[in-house]
Amino acid sequence: MDFGPEIIEHMSNPKNYGRIDDADSIGIGENPQNGEKVIVYLKIKDEKITDIAFEAIACMTTVVAGSIITQEARDITLEKSDELVAVTLGMLDNVPPEEAACSEMVALAIKAATDGYRMSSQSGKKDTLIYKIESSCSPEQEYKEGNGQ
Amino acid sequence: MTQVLTKTHELWLTTIMASFMTNNIESRQKLNDFSDIIFRHFTWIEKNLVKNDIDYDYNRDNIPIKVDNLQVIVNNIISRINEIRLMLPLLEDEALSFRMSTDFDYMVYALSQIEDEKVNSFDGNRKYKNYNLSDEATDAFTLFLFEESYKEYELIMIYNYLRANSKDAYLNRIFKILIDESFFHLKSFCLMMSEMGILAVPRVIHKSLYKIDNVIKFLQDGIEEEIAAKEQCKDLSDAVAKDSQELAKFFDFINYQENYHIELMRDALAYYGNKSFMY
Repeated sequence: MDFGPEIIEHMSNPKNYGRIDDADSIGIGENPQNGEKVIVYLKIKDEKITDIAFEAIACMTTVVAGSIITQEARDITLEKSDELVAVTLGMLDNVPPEEAACSEMVALAIKAATDGYRMSSQSGKKDTLIYKIESSCSPEQEYKEGNGQ
Repeated sequence: MTQVLTKTHELWLTTIMASFMTNNIESRQKLNDFSDIIFRHFTWIEKNLVKNDIDYDYNRDNIPIKVDNLQVIVNNIISRINEIRLMLPLLEDEALSFRMSTDFDYMVYALSQIEDEKVNSFDGNRKYKNYNLSDEATDAFTLFLFEESYKEYELIMIYNYLRANSKDAYLNRIFKILIDESFFHLKSFCLMMSEMGILAVPRVIHKSLYKIDNVIKFLQDGIEEEIAAKEQCKDLSDAVAKDSQELAKFFDFINYQENYHIELMRDALAYYGNKSFMY
């Protein structure tokens, strides 16, 4: 990680850090190897992310990745969010493995939240999806009852 | 009452962070002492919540502390105190409410006497004293301070939660020692961060970390984490040794302190094992 002023700012004051109590959807990205996880909270209106927050039970590199990527995801449509996740996952080969795992965890947490929102829109039932990171970056999904921790 | 707990948590963090911003020894001591008292207020409010079987957590707002002058953060502390003062009637414990109220009276007076000074805790200089650390050592030091200041805050809150929710004197003695030890580490690391212009409030802790279902597993994992922390201290000591013997010796000192933490955690683990109960 390059410790320039911008990164130091993300470390000192991570953007969008925290939780949204009345979130429309919650998604979790998890590293099954060490139990680290990222929890993303979304408020969505008219297919657009109007508010986003995240919590990380993880290292500082993940917090920085969460701060940067959730800023990108703010105020964009769900379709654009899918593109953001795809672009982020597509860039993982170009970064060191530890940093790749951190970014992957954040991207998958966003994907879990948006996918969960779409599922709940159809079924009327809120689920918190958990996507686990893998070296192949293809998420395996699990379902957890209820939209809460 | 939960709102008073949250506001007191935020006041404690603001005050302890302010103590790291000043270079005036007297102001630092005053802010440090006040932060310790406010933390005790926090634990007493928490105990009342437990006693009254009221659900609570350690969630709080993010706390902006980036200031150019000490007076700005001191005024912020006074505003926070005044906000809590208005909530004191919500505490059902009159003795505690009176104690906090009289503490606040003196604190506001004493804080208003603190001399203003320029704050350099956020200038991002990333220099520690006059040591000429290599870029690699500076980066390792920076990451260590961010990771470990959060970790120490996390440990303070976890052990505090366990202590507040346990009536077992044997375990509470161990938890209290571990809290005190983490306080020392947090203060040491934050002072270094301030010197390097990268002072920051540790991020909010997720409730799953302290609302623990299985304390035995928590202690087992915690021992592994302490062993990993020892390695980090050793790596950092090695990284800075050629540029600063003083820093290297400090990280060796922290490293050796972890040994006793591990023993205390093993002691707690054995105690839980003997009692054969889950928390």
